[in-house]
This record gives sequence, C-alpha cells and structure tokens, in this order.
Amino acid sequence: MRRAISGVIYGLSAAIGVLTFAYPFLLQADRAAQERIAPLATAALVGLSLVALLMELQGQAISAKTVAMLGVLVAVTSVLRFLDVAFPLPGGFSPIFAPIILVGYVFGARFGFLMGAFTLLASALITGGVGPWLPYQMFTAGWVGMTAGWLARLQPLTSNLQSWKLEVGGWRVGLLAGFGFAWGLLYGAILNLYFWPLAVGMGGQGWEAGLGLRETLVRYAAFYVATSLGWDLAGAVGNAALILLLGAPTMRALTRFQRRFHFQML
Amino acid sequence: MDVRVWLLWALTVLVAASSARNPLYGLLLLLAATVVGVACAPANGRRPFLAPLRFAAVAVPFSALFNGLTAHLGEHVLFRLPAWLPLLGGPLTLEGLAYGATSGLALAAIFGGFAALNRVTPVHELVRLAPRAFHEAGVVLSIALTFVPQTARSLTRIRQAQAVRGHRWRGLRDGLPILVPLLVSGLERSMGLAEAMVARGYGSVADRPQPLRLRALLALGLLALLGGWLAWLFWPSGNGIALGAMTLGGGLIGTVLWLAGRAVPRTSYRLRRWTVRDTVGVLGCALTLAVVLLPLPGRGTLVYSPYPRLTPPGFDPLVGLGLLGLALPALWGEAQGDEG
Amino acid sequence: MIRFERLTYTYPGAATPALCDVSLEIAEGEFVLLAGPSGAGKSTLLRCLNGLVPHFSGGTVSGRVAVAGHDPLAEGPPALSRVVGFVFQDPEAQFVVDRVEDEVAFALENRAVPPAEMRARVEEALRWLDLLALRDRPLEQLSGGEKQRVAIAAALALRPRVLALDEPTSQLDPQSAEEVLEALVRLNRELGLTIVLAEHRLERVLPHADRLIAFPTPPATDILSGPPRQVLRRMEQTPPLVTLGKALGWAPLPLTVEEAHRVSCIAYRRSPIAYRRSQVANRQSPIANRQSPIANRQSPIAIRDTRYAIRDMRYAIRDSRLAIRDLRFSYGDAHVLHGVSLEVATGELVVLMGRNGSGKTTLLKCIVGLLRPDGGTVALDGQALAGQSTADICRRVGYLPQEPDDLLFADTVAEELAVTLRNHGLLARPPVAPARLLARLGLSDRAAAYPRDLSVGQRQRVALGAVTVTRPSLLLLDEPTRGMDYGSKRELLRMLREWQAEGTGVLLVTHDVELAAQAADRVALLDGGRVVAQGTPAEVLTAAPGFTPQVAQLFPATGWLTVEDALAGRGSAAR
Repeated sequence: MRRAISGVIYGLSAAIGVLTFAYPFLLQADRAAQERIAPLATAALVGLSLVALLMELQGQAISAKTVAMLGVLVAVTSVLRFLDVAFPLPGGFSPIFAPIILVGYVFGARFGFLMGAFTLLASALITGGVGPWLPYQMFTAGWVGMTAGWLARLQPLTSNLQSWKLEVGGWRVGLLAGFGFAWGLLYGAILNLYFWPLAVGMGGQGWEAGLGLRETLVRYAAFYVATSLGWDLAGAVGNAALILLLGAPTMRALTRFQRRFHFQML
Repeated sequence: MDVRVWLLWALTVLVAASSARNPLYGLLLLLAATVVGVACAPANGRRPFLAPLRFAAVAVPFSALFNGLTAHLGEHVLFRLPAWLPLLGGPLTLEGLAYGATSGLALAAIFGGFAALNRVTPVHELVRLAPRAFHEAGVVLSIALTFVPQTARSLTRIRQAQAVRGHRWRGLRDGLPILVPLLVSGLERSMGLAEAMVARGYGSVADRPQPLRLRALLALGLLALLGGWLAWLFWPSGNGIALGAMTLGGGLIGTVLWLAGRAVPRTSYRLRRWTVRDTVGVLGCALTLAVVLLPLPGRGTLVYSPYPRLTPPGFDPLVGLGLLGLALPALWGEAQGDEG
Repeated sequence: MIRFERLTYTYPGAATPALCDVSLEIAEGEFVLLAGPSGAGKSTLLRCLNGLVPHFSGGTVSGRVAVAGHDPLAEGPPALSRVVGFVFQDPEAQFVVDRVEDEVAFALENRAVPPAEMRARVEEALRWLDLLALRDRPLEQLSGGEKQRVAIAAALALRPRVLALDEPTSQLDPQSAEEVLEALVRLNRELGLTIVLAEHRLERVLPHADRLIAFPTPPATDILSGPPRQVLRRMEQTPPLVTLGKALGWAPLPLTVEEAHRVSCIAYRRSPIAYRRSQVANRQSPIANRQSPIANRQSPIAIRDTRYAIRDMRYAIRDSRLAIRDLRFSYGDAHVLHGVSLEVATGELVVLMGRNGSGKTTLLKCIVGLLRPDGGTVALDGQALAGQSTADICRRVGYLPQEPDDLLFADTVAEELAVTLRNHGLLARPPVAPARLLARLGLSDRAAAYPRDLSVGQRQRVALGAVTVTRPSLLLLDEPTRGMDYGSKRELLRMLREWQAEGTGVLLVTHDVELAAQAADRVALLDGGRVVAQGTPAEVLTAAPGFTPQVAQLFPATGWLTVEDALAGRGSAAR
C-alpha cells in the first residue's frame, strides 16, 4: 500500500511536470489571454508538484546521516561549479550534472532526487540565481537524479561485502555517459520552454495558442536552435565526457564509502 | 524588509512584467527594479548593480531580431528574405522588431526583479524561509552553505598535496586525484557531522514515517491539480471547473504541508518582527497588482501591439504610477540589519 | 552517577569486541581522564555515554550503562542529549550553521525550547565559554580553539550534567589547547559539571583530573581506574615526569614541574652533587626565563646560535641536503618570512618549531615550490631549486602534508605508490622497490587494502610511502604527530631513523616539544618570520620557555632533555 501511494505520487507529479513544460504545445486557441499569469502559473504548478514530491521523499524517515551527506555533497558540487580548471571549458558545461547522476546511481533514486533538487537550489542561492525558473530547475534536476537511481536497479552494483574487488564494468560507464548526454540536452530544452513564451510573447507570431502541435514544435525548434542548442550541446558533451573519464573510479569510491558506513537510503 | 515581503515583491514584478506588454511600462518596471536593487542592497562594497541593464542590453536586441526574422506581419518592411527559407522566409518588418523588443524588455524586467531579490536578501535569510515541514531541507541547505568555504579550502589543500607527488594537469582525467579525495573526505566529514547533530538531539522526532493519511491526501491533491490542468488545456468551456480543481489541488497540498509542519516541534531562535516597512512594501505590491489585474480604466494601454502598423505605445499616467508602487521599498534605502 | 556494568560492545563487521566486560563507576562532579593508545576503546566508551553507540554505529552490545538515572543503550541519543553533551575531535566537522549564536541555539531549536528561554540559555552558554565577544562572527573566521569552545557552548546549551569530549585538542596548537582545557577546568570547578575527557597528551590535564581511566594496548582488556597517581604507577606509557618519578622512586608521583621540584629537593638530599648543580642552575635560570629569546631578539643565545649556524653553514655547505638562505615571502602586504636561513645536513633530522602563524608551513611550501618566494635561495644538494616546477622538485623532496588523507584516492595501497611513480614517469624502473618500502612502513600485509579503510596511523604511513617512493634526498614532514599516541610516535621515529641512516635529510615541523627532544639532531625556532634560534636541542630547547621539555624544566642548565638523559645523568652524578 505504501509503495503504491509512492508510485501514484511520483506518477502524478511527473505528469503534471511534463504537461506544464509542454503547455505551449498543447494549449487551445481560446486560452490565449493567459499570458499575464503564464510564467507565474507554470512556476506555481511545477512548484506544487515539486513540493509534493519532496514531502513524499522526505517523509520516509530522513535521518541525520542523510541530511549531513546531502549537505556536504551539495557543497562539493557547488564548489566544483567554480572550479578553476587549467584549461577553459566551453560555455554551458556545468559540472554539476555528472555528480548528480553518479550519486543517484550509487545511492538510489530517492537520494538522487534530493541531491539534484538541493544542488540546484544551493547553486541558485550561492550564485544569486533565484528566480521563477527555479522550480523548473529543481524539478528537472531532481528527476535527473531519480532516473539515474532507477537506471541502477536494472543491474545493481555488486554490494557483496566480502568481495573487495569492485568492478565497475565499462558498459555501465558508457550507459551513464549516454544518459548524461541525453539529460544534458533535455534539461536545456525544458528550461528553455519556460522562457520561450516570455521571450517571444503570446499572440504574436512567435507562438500562438492553438496552432497545433506540429507547427508549434517547429517554431520552438527554431527558438531552441537560436538560443541554447549550442550551449546545451556543450553541456551534454561535457556530462558525457566527465562520466566517461571519471565515472568508474568515482563510483567505486562512493560504493566503498557506502559499504563502510552501512549506509542505506530507502 | 522581511524576506517574505521581498519574495512577494519579486513575484509582483513577474506578474506585472508578463501582463504589461508595453515597452514604456516594461522600461518603467526595469528601472524600478534596478533602483530598488541599488538602494536596498546591504552595503558591503560589491560591484554596482548593473545586471538587469546588462541583461536587457542582450535580451532586447536578440528578441527583436528573433521575432523580426520569424514573424512576418506588419506594414513597414525593412528587408525581404527569400521566401523558400523555412520560417525565416518573408519580409522583416519594423513591427516585428518592435514586438520582439517589447518582449525582451518584459523578460529583462522579470530578470531584474529577481536579481534585485538576490542582491537584497542575505542567503541565510532565504534559507530560513523553508516551511517547518521542510526544516530538514533547511538544514541541508544550511550545511551546504556552511561547508562551501571549507570545501574550497579542502580543494586547495588537495591540489597542493597532489602536486607534491608529481600530479600535473594534462587533461580532464587528471581531475580524478582531486575529485575523489574531495568527495570521500567530504563524505567522511559528513558522518562526523551527523554524529554531532545526533548528539545534540537532532532527529528526535524526525525519525517517524509520515502517516498514510497525509500521503493519501497528497496524492489526492496532485490528482485534483492534474485534473484541473488537463481540463484547462483541453476543455475550453470548463473554465470554472478547471480553475476550481486546480485551486482545490493546491489547497490540499498546502494543507498537507501545514499539517506536516505542525507535527514537527521546533522553534526558531531568530524571530522577525513585522515593521512598518513591511506593510508599506506589501501595499506597494498590492497597488501594482491592482493596476495590472483589475479592470480599471487605462487598462487598454497595458497591451501594446505594433501590428499591423507601428504606432507609438500608449501610456496612462495612473497605470504608470501604480507600477511605480514597486519602487516604494527604495524610499527606505538600505536594510537596517536583522530582526529584533 | 555514571556506571558501566559488564559492558561488551562489538562494532559491526569487526572480529573482536572493542570493549570487553567493562565495569566502571564515575561520581558526580569528577574530572575524568581517559588515556590509552589509539584504538583501545576510549572513543567507544565515550559514545556509550550518550547512546551514539549502539544507536548511531550499529553493532552488538551487552551489559548495562546508567547515566544519571537514564539508560543510554535503550533510550538513545535523542533522550540523552539533555544529560550528556558531546564534543568531537574535528573542529571543522561539527557545525551546521555559519554563525556562532545560531550554532549554539541549534540544539535548543531541535528540542522546541521557547524563544525567550532560548535566548537566556544561549547567553549563559556563551558567557561560560568566554565567547560573548565572538557571538556574531561567522564560524569560518574563528581559530581552532575558538571553534572548539563554540562546540562546547553548543553542547552546554541543553544544560547537560555530563560533558564527554573525544580528543578535543588533538587538532589544535598548544595555545588553543590551553584555552580549551582551561575552559573545561573552569566548568568543572564552578559549575560542578562532570567531565569525561579522552586525551593523548596527558601532561596538560593530569594535574586537574580526579580520576584516570587507562586503557591497555589491545588485545589486553584490563582497564585501570582510580586516582591519577595510583593508575599512573601501573600504566606503561606515561608522561616524562611521571616516568622519571617512577624510575627514581619518587612518592607521591609528580604531575607538574612544581611538584617534581618539591619531591626532587627532598630526594636530592641523597645526592648532593646533583642537588648543588640544580641549585646553581636555579640561580641562573631566572635570567634566561625573564629574557625570552622570543620576546627579546637581542638575546645573546639567539645571536650566538645564529652566528654559529651561519658559520656551520659555510663550512658544511657541501655536505648539506637543504640550504636555505635569506628566504623572503609575503602574502600581498603581509610579510610572512623575513629572510630565513636554515640548513639540513645529510642524514640529519632538524626540527622546526614556532608558534602558530610564525610561517612554518609557508616555509615548507616555499621549499617545494607550491609558493614562489620573493627573494632568497633554496638549494637541494647544492643545486638551486628556483624556477623548477613542484612536480620536478618533489622527485627529490618528499613532503608529507598535515592532512595525509588528501593524498589518498587509489583503490589499493600498492596502487597509491604506483600513482606517484607513474606521475614521475618512473613506473618501469622505480628507485625504491615498492615491496621493500611497504615492508619498512609495516604495511606489507595491507598492500591490497583500500587505503581509506585503514586506521589513521596506517593511512599516514601510506601517504608517507606515496611521497618517499621516489627515493627523495630530503623529507619534509608537517606536523605528523597530531593526535598520535606514544607508541605510534615511536614507530614514526624508528622509520625516520632508517631514512636518516640512508642519508636522507629530514625537516620536521611540530609543536611537540618532547618529540623534538627525543628525535632532533638540531632544532630551529621560527618566530615572526625569522629563525631566532638554531642549534642543538640542548641549547635551543632549554633557552626558550614554552618550548622546554618537562625534564629540562625540572633540571635546568643540566642539558638533560629526556627521561633517558636524566636517568643516565643521575646515574653518573650519583657515582
């Protein structure tokens, strides 16, 4: 029963999220006069969905260990964001998604969601980027972590306490790298969907309610290509590169830590 | 001003900018946001608050160009692109540019409002906004913010330690000797932190699973929300029902939040008292919202359409004054510091 | 008030119990000291007081514990937090919020104390720990000692009756440690707080303790408990004064230098020569004590030593491993090093000492090239190091940083050594056979273990291996003995002597005076960015108060620094 309700809550909130992201494509013609509250309404919808999901995840006995681990991991990821690297990185390359994916993969879906959502929140607080787009960011980043955790259930990492030789097969790393690439693009596309109606205005020729799915998609594609495709591509490639190069040893280190502290996250 | 009032202020900017699709109003909002951000920021010698203006300098031309290239309505044709180009083919009109510029200004105003919010409120105040049901989230954020400087110092130490054994930065792969100790040391520290927290009584009541009732209520709330939203999207005549369902859904979720919060017995060390400034701030926001949402005369000027023929945008001084309600916080200037 | 009855506890996954059939009693208001080697069970016992063991760490427990009428094993930390306050070792890893006041209030917020009472309690806690001036500061700006005091205040906010502290001063420098211990003594005397403190450096705390509980080296399990002097008689590892007292049959065993003076004066009636020598020394010593070379840079001892040092350097330059001349460094406007000249000869162990902030770590970093000095030269084996990259320098210099954990990231111990070799391109032909190095470090049986699973001491040795696998001619160690028990220190010294025998020069930075007395061939004192004293341990350590070992304080002007010296000297005097 408890798991059933969990599933229901996940499903409903995901549905709300997707439908809200996609509302420019789905809106019928005579709803056109909603322009004024659209950004607020979409933020509120996604925000409520996020709140519900967070409450569901948090309610299951979140212990001091989880809180402390989350706090520190979020801090580490935030610091990495400002990492002074020896060579310049292409814009859009955000090193926060690779850790979110790896942590979600090793520690599970719930932890992954919390990690993603809180990392974005902390990042926004630190860099002064709090805005109405924040629910979109937190929601999406949370799902990145959550889906990474679900991915791990396909074939769990060997958690045999007796065997000290922890092999992380190349296929896992490849899978995660592809995963990171896909999410890099998807995340950018979703975030862009928030700004699109704002930037080109409803009722104008950039976007019009009721134009039908295909036509709207075409227009959005144009907007996306113009604004953030390059950026997101760099981000996606960056995610994949980070995971390919650093994923296996990092996962090993995280798994060992998990073993050492017998840390179980539901 | 209280952080919650600032949040209200920023959201008002959001609503106002989305509603007032008029370049003059948009400019007014942008300026109001910038002025407030400059006047109310805590004085600690930071760089001047130019972020909204810089953003506008980028967003407005970009938006204008984008709209001009993709929308092909209007009378004043500046340029004609070959018609076989998908989407881009057709005349580039002045009206298209003007419309795009207006949208860009609105976006810049929204951005400016939130940039001001970020600048004016100290981070730990924002963290304290977390409702009681989410106090664990608040603690996570607290810890994260407290550990950021420490982690940065750790990073430097680790870099130096690895340099001492010959580590050189040749490629991305050389990030490993830096990343792994950082992560694992941080995690080990977090275990020590967890112990310290538990030793101080943290978690005495948080270790209770949420009752089934609340979660069922949550699920119902989400269902109502989803239903209402679907109705809104796909059922044109069910306006009232859609809105009602969404409100119900939101209300249910809010109720669960409140109930869960009540189950957490915590008190707060720093209490904020409501001051006159806060009231004035709220009034200013209310004024702006009234002007923008209510059917008052002069409302027609709110939405400006340059199509089909470019005309100067209308301006109603009353509406303008109402929008200036957002600039009221700037009258008091810098915040006096924390609470009482 | 606190009672352990036949307590046995085994950590999850461990083969042997950490605590075996322990029965102890502690009365209210006592200041209790827990002593013993690392891993003997002190931390475990402390954590049983408030239920962290077994609620936080898992494992199996049997027996009973009673603390002020509560049962920690059953009730767990949430209930016990009102009775037992706990302070941990690492000042960096205890804080949740970033302000002092809010941190102290954290515990109270958790227990839903009404705001008015919260303010009162926070004030009280801050006042007891002398922190009122610091209340608004962000925590990261505080020193280690201040941070630990904040941790104590945070634990006190709930008004516990017992305060348990797990090696709170081991990460601190001596001055901060003094602050913290003074605060604890004050709390015990004036508030009547029962204090249970685990410590390695017993000298500081012994005079104040009411009870000493000594843990034996595992696998022995008989724990001694009683008044300090009684227990010290039966302990193996004791502070120098006590060891001396036991060897010379003094009664009662002296815990401070003053007590030792008194006892020794009585004992000296049997040996007039030594007595007279010590009287003469006492007459001379007030001068040396008043004119500290640190405070007064014109002190003849300091100048004489520096001149000798320069003369030695000119003669010995060809024989030296490390020669630093007139090194200058500044961080922006702050001058840290004002012309430091130092030398380490082949096979010599030089100890560098100085107060916090005197520039010791900066000096080490300048040597390895992590910081670029503003002026002066550093020469290794006669060759100047200026302009070389850190990686190149570190092929011939091994630098063990303060936090050895920062180095460890590989999957096995053997792999850690290989990483360094690979970095330097020496994997094919290693200068030192890794297996031999592991054997010297005592890690042969751990070659395939995950480094982070090992104990603190073992991890330090892995790190040491990682920096010495390139067969450096100079070894730099930055505070390697923090929080180490006597046994581990001896081990470390033994390993260093092996390297010295091969000709490696060693520069050791430490606060530990007793270590310097035992290990150093030469000692250099750094103060305010200058070397103010340099010479043999007997010369330098006796001239500067605050850097004088206990034996030297007891027998000034005899040149005795360690217990062995004193016993040998006594022997010859008595003849």
